[in-house]
Amino acid sequence: MGKENDVVIRFDHVTKEYKLYKSERARFKGLFSDKVPHKINKAVNDMSFEIRRGDAVSLIGRNGAGKSTILKIITGVTYPTAGEVEVNGKISALLELSAGFDANFTGRENIYLKCELMGFTKEEIKRLEPAIIEFADVGDYIDQPLRSYSSGMKARLGFAISVNVNPDILIIDEALSVGDKRFRKKCTERVREIMSGDDITLLFVTHSLDAAMDFCKRGIVLEKGVKLFDGEINEAIDFYNARD
Amino acid sequence: MESIKLIIEEHRLLGNQVFKLAKSELIKTYRASALGWAWALVKPTVRIFVFWFAFTVGLRAGKPVEGYPYILWLVAGFLPWFYMQDMLNGGAGCVRKKKHLVTKMRFPVSTIPTFVSLSFLYVHWLLLAITIVLFAVCGHMPDIYYLQIPFYMFIMFVFFTVWGLFSGLLSAISQDFQNLVRSFTQAIFWMSGVMYNVDRIHNHTARILLKFNPITVVSSGYRKVFIYKQWFWEDPVELGCFCITLLVFTILALWAYKHLRKEIPDVL
Repeated sequence: MGKENDVVIRFDHVTKEYKLYKSERARFKGLFSDKVPHKINKAVNDMSFEIRRGDAVSLIGRNGAGKSTILKIITGVTYPTAGEVEVNGKISALLELSAGFDANFTGRENIYLKCELMGFTKEEIKRLEPAIIEFADVGDYIDQPLRSYSSGMKARLGFAISVNVNPDILIIDEALSVGDKRFRKKCTERVREIMSGDDITLLFVTHSLDAAMDFCKRGIVLEKGVKLFDGEINEAIDFYNARD
Repeated sequence: MESIKLIIEEHRLLGNQVFKLAKSELIKTYRASALGWAWALVKPTVRIFVFWFAFTVGLRAGKPVEGYPYILWLVAGFLPWFYMQDMLNGGAGCVRKKKHLVTKMRFPVSTIPTFVSLSFLYVHWLLLAITIVLFAVCGHMPDIYYLQIPFYMFIMFVFFTVWGLFSGLLSAISQDFQNLVRSFTQAIFWMSGVMYNVDRIHNHTARILLKFNPITVVSSGYRKVFIYKQWFWEDPVELGCFCITLLVFTILALWAYKHLRKEIPDVL
């Protein structure tokens, strides 16, 4: 495999701006004209980095540093204002655990709905289904509509799907903090198990530096949309702590 | 041009999923209630009965048309209206309603109006089947004019899917637009040929203007099939007007898609 193919995520001078208008009316006018006064918030500012296959990278930064925006750009939910983004491989994102769920369908139907949206065929989903249900551990509720689920159950089902679909890139955003202690432990073990494969790339966002140290080898420190530090996880954490 | 390519690409990407999503839309709508599918029939039946009662019993108008009882004339024109009404409002709300898909995961936005429209079309098929049976029971067997049902259904589906793309995207950006559509649904109903035959309007300008309204064209089209027994090519002016409206809305939809696609996940 050539070195070039090894890059799974590449950010090339990526900038993401959010336009802030005074009111809904101003925002509506702003659709048709650039002259409407507004402030610009650069959530991500001229960011460049590469992540290679098998990397385990932690994004570290305070609230508003641009971590979530970066993850949203990688997952394709939102578009960058400027710059190039390249992503190679199947992404499984634990951003919003209930993403793609429909409250009126049962847990089982939601497994199918979500996996189909991720591009799996019916046969593939059938094969994955038992593992997902086993992991989610919601018991008889699997055939109940999702609106009757507790938030913990929803999160468990979402997590179960995301970690059981054999992704190339696993993105975790604070998701390991769902559920009770036992489920957290199960999740941690499962992520570790996934990461034992060489080809899996992990992108991790958390405020728990211990967890970051636990899973990742590399850390990127962000502040106000700018990359301040990129290197060994220990050094990144030291750098981050020193700035506080 | 680029937008067209992107939209086709998005549909190709989703592939058969479009049909599955359309089906799940239906299931979602009708399973939540105990009567389920019956509701798909109750609403239209009540609607038609009310109009029949008001016009025949109340206003003592509603005379038979071309030898067909007034109620059958109503049914023929109302049949496509139920789909069109669903799409007027449902189309305008479709992207906003699918917020959980658009803002949480990578999702081809342009396919949303397509599968929403498709799910309403399924209901339309059910109503169509019932209408054909109803006409047969009343002694009016299907004839050669029924062959143009697919034609009118097709142009109706195309126009309202395009409408859904345009209005859905715009409403996602601005709630005002959705409110505007909601407020005008009643007006649109009375300003189109669902309740009256546009060809009998004396004012020439009004008659032509109403033909630019696709609802008029489709509704009178279904009446041509069931009641008047005319072919769609017998009124080229009407078809021409329809094509112009379709073109205008296609351009609007492409404009909306090009400019709003990237904004929507951020503002929704």
